[in-house]
Amino acid sequence: MNSGKLGVALAGGLLLTGCATSNPFSNIPVEDRSSGAAAVQQPVQTEPSGVVVTPMDPGLGVRPLEVEPIVRAQREILPPADEVWQPSPVTPTAPASSPSAPSPAESPASVDNAAVVALLDTAKQETAQGDLRAAQTRLERAQRIAPREPEVYYQLADVKRQLGQFMDAEQVALRGIDVASGQNASLRRLWALISQIRTEAGDLAGADDARQQASRY
Amino acid sequence: MPKKRVQKSQSRRRQPQKRRSITGYLLGLLLKLGLLFVVFCAVLLIYVDGQVREKFEGKRWELPAKVYARPLEMYAGQGLSPEQLRQELGLLGYRTVSAVTGPGSVEFASARVRVMTRGFAFPDEVEPSRRLLIEFGNGRIQRIHDELQQQDVALVRLEPALIGGIYPRSNEDRDLIRLQDAPPYLKDALLVVEDREFYQHHGVSPKGMLRAAVVNARAGRFVQGGSTLTQQLIKNFYLTSDRTLSRKLLELPMALAMDFRYDKDEILEAYLNEVYLGQSGIRAVHGFGLASQFYFGRPASELELHQVALLVALVKGPSFYDPRRNPERAQARRDLVINLLAEHGYISAAERDAAVAEPLGVRQSRRMHTGSYPAYLDLVKRQLLKEYRDEDLSTEGLLIYTSLDPLAQSHADASISDVLNELQSRHGERAGELQGAMVVTDPRTGEVLALVGGKETQFEGFNRALDARRAVGSLIKPAIFLAAIEQGYTLASIVRDEPVELRLPNGDIWSPQNFDRQSHGDVLLITALARSFNQSSVNLGLEIGLSKVIDVLRRLGVERNIQALPSLMLGAQEMTPLEIAEVYQTLAADGFRMPLRSIRMVTTAEGEELSRYPFQLRQQVAAEPIYLIRHAMQEVGRSGTARSAYQQLPSELNFAGKTGTSNDQRDSWFAGFTGNRLAVVWVGRDDNRPLPFASTGGALPVWTAFMRQEKPEPLVSRRPASITTQWIDERSGRLSDPICEGSRQLPFIQGTEPVASVDCGQFSVRPGPSAPEETESGGWFRNLFR
Repeated sequence: MNSGKLGVALAGGLLLTGCATSNPFSNIPVEDRSSGAAAVQQPVQTEPSGVVVTPMDPGLGVRPLEVEPIVRAQREILPPADEVWQPSPVTPTAPASSPSAPSPAESPASVDNAAVVALLDTAKQETAQGDLRAAQTRLERAQRIAPREPEVYYQLADVKRQLGQFMDAEQVALRGIDVASGQNASLRRLWALISQIRTEAGDLAGADDARQQASRY
Repeated sequence: MPKKRVQKSQSRRRQPQKRRSITGYLLGLLLKLGLLFVVFCAVLLIYVDGQVREKFEGKRWELPAKVYARPLEMYAGQGLSPEQLRQELGLLGYRTVSAVTGPGSVEFASARVRVMTRGFAFPDEVEPSRRLLIEFGNGRIQRIHDELQQQDVALVRLEPALIGGIYPRSNEDRDLIRLQDAPPYLKDALLVVEDREFYQHHGVSPKGMLRAAVVNARAGRFVQGGSTLTQQLIKNFYLTSDRTLSRKLLELPMALAMDFRYDKDEILEAYLNEVYLGQSGIRAVHGFGLASQFYFGRPASELELHQVALLVALVKGPSFYDPRRNPERAQARRDLVINLLAEHGYISAAERDAAVAEPLGVRQSRRMHTGSYPAYLDLVKRQLLKEYRDEDLSTEGLLIYTSLDPLAQSHADASISDVLNELQSRHGERAGELQGAMVVTDPRTGEVLALVGGKETQFEGFNRALDARRAVGSLIKPAIFLAAIEQGYTLASIVRDEPVELRLPNGDIWSPQNFDRQSHGDVLLITALARSFNQSSVNLGLEIGLSKVIDVLRRLGVERNIQALPSLMLGAQEMTPLEIAEVYQTLAADGFRMPLRSIRMVTTAEGEELSRYPFQLRQQVAAEPIYLIRHAMQEVGRSGTARSAYQQLPSELNFAGKTGTSNDQRDSWFAGFTGNRLAVVWVGRDDNRPLPFASTGGALPVWTAFMRQEKPEPLVSRRPASITTQWIDERSGRLSDPICEGSRQLPFIQGTEPVASVDCGQFSVRPGPSAPEETESGGWFRNLFR
């Protein structure tokens, strides 16, 4: 995890230098570029070096774990499964009311909202004709209508990539990955796009990481 | 320019004629005088011509910037009720009719709406006017059919509501129309009433002046003016500047010059847009375009005969004939205009009778816009002034497209005023002058949808949503708990809710109390947040350290200087409601920070893009800790301090939020979000005195009232792959089992689950066939003990 440490140090440095400016995004571009599934589980750490860290065993509370057994009585009636969230959904489902519930099908283009399909199609044409500004406007319109649709983020990130806005492009794609969770085809496409963005931005190691992520799906 | 030269050479040609007939000194003098006169006339002409041109062609009018709300997008599957559509169309001034006739009219049936839209030239594309049949069902649009094209349409945009303007110092307001867009009869009525020989005379009408003089002489007082429309236009051009004698004397030659230089239709069009037709507060209403909105709430092209007649009637004296103040006078003059139209054969007797039978039908409000959005416009203006000069904003006719949602704004306004009025009457004197503020965003896009700056939501004033810096109280706690989770704490970690004493830099001893003045001993981390225990939060914050908490706050979006004092843990830090919204927006958007946006695009009057504010974001917190903190914030509503909200909201809403009460109960806060709405509410007093109620008594009811009206989508958190669920013992935080008493399910980041377990015999007793076997949680552990 050498690259991870380097990233942490780098992020810390950016944090210190970025505080002076007023740009809300100048502070700390915290993003998880470390590879592998293990990295995903790690909370983001932006610890500037020199600050005292009190290491904590994960899962342990404030006190050392006591070894004496604790005995509890049994319930007469079992509790219902917690209604706040379902224990183990295989594929997360979009809110029933969402007009753009992602389809479980593999094809990333299977957007089931006609309005969004129309916007995406036109945006694609505009992108092909090089009218990137128009495509951007249209995709942001699509995003307002279907903010849970990974394909919207895919195309928007791609437009930003073509505009040379690599940082924005990558972040939009990461947001796409966030909303696409459980949809493997979309995840694969989005990671592949991030790999391309990072390559064009000159971040070859990051591109490699993203390629590996893509191959997981 | 060519016209001007012709004129000059004509006047020169006269000189040789005169010279031929002269003999002698007198005539020589006459010649010199004549020359002088010609030179004088030429200079005058050039001056007058310049003046006329400046007014006519230069920057003829200062046009205020127009600020638009978001356009309502309609598509099959969209969550929109006929009632919401009715509200939106009402705002746009659509007429409810029994059969749709033209643009701007709508007919309602139970689950169907037929509407003829007006169309709008959006910067990205022109939305045509269409006749649509919209079918509703289950609170959604089921189908949109274009009746003229005879096909279903995927997506339609209504025109955006005009929510305000940015006005020039002259306070003149106008809405330009072209002559060809003028409603039927406007031109006829104007000419027949004001200037019948308009198309024949040369700018001034000696006949008209003579007739006026005769009429006035007979009546013995001034009853009729002899001014042509051209003269009136010149008068109106200089109406606001000083009306000196020289101006008065110049009026005649200017009228001639204007008539000579320009088309009759050009002059008439200028007249339509220049004439003064009313007063909206400090703002002068100029032109028929704006007057049409001001008096009837619809575009000029949709005016009916009797409405056109009233506007033409007002030309003579907008104050004297003010239909709101002097309706009889206004109606009499309107009918006179209608009768004149009939006399001169423009309308039939039947049309005349029908028009005369119409009531005045003027909208009551003197405000220019149907709604009033002072707080939101303030936000928009501040953003614009960072990039545009004041005078460009108020004179160039810029078009500003914002994300204001008028429906959400009206819900926010109503929630603040209803709840504050209720609190005021319940608590009486003790409540003092209650004030409130509110910010509403769409957490998925970061767009600000509504803003309330104070109790009087309709009036401009101190904008508390942007400017009231108040102690945030417990709203700070999610940041502390998130920092702890990032450091490896879990929702089942045990935190101490015990008295704590801290020595402050100034030597004071600080020992925070819980709201119920009790300490609760060892509690689960999730419980400490859900029930907002102060002592455990301070203990937790001290354990992870101020720097970690401040780092999280910075990443979540706090740009203001944060005071690194232990009192930060209880929210002594002051922030504005908008700043709090920035922070909670990041929590709502899965850890992606999106700077809040209110403007989508700015274009020139012609629709050319000047600036846009694109969707931007940065991931600041990883998905897993965000998932846990949001779970804890949902517990705030389920079993914690905000559970009273569910008395009025559907239980499947699953909102996440946090109550906040500052020291001595001076501020009452609630910040919370659902799937598509985030709202931050502050209630307090401008004099910063204590309130007779806490967060749950002030801000939370406002938030709840808003969400009840808004009917938002539920909050569904996607569970990242590396999140597991476990049954946990409430008191010890150890693993447990559904069959053990005091157990509950909690999510964990994989690998952080507790290892030790409580024992209620779950390992020795095989659950009966009726009891569900829990295979996931701790199954391997249980097997170890079998």
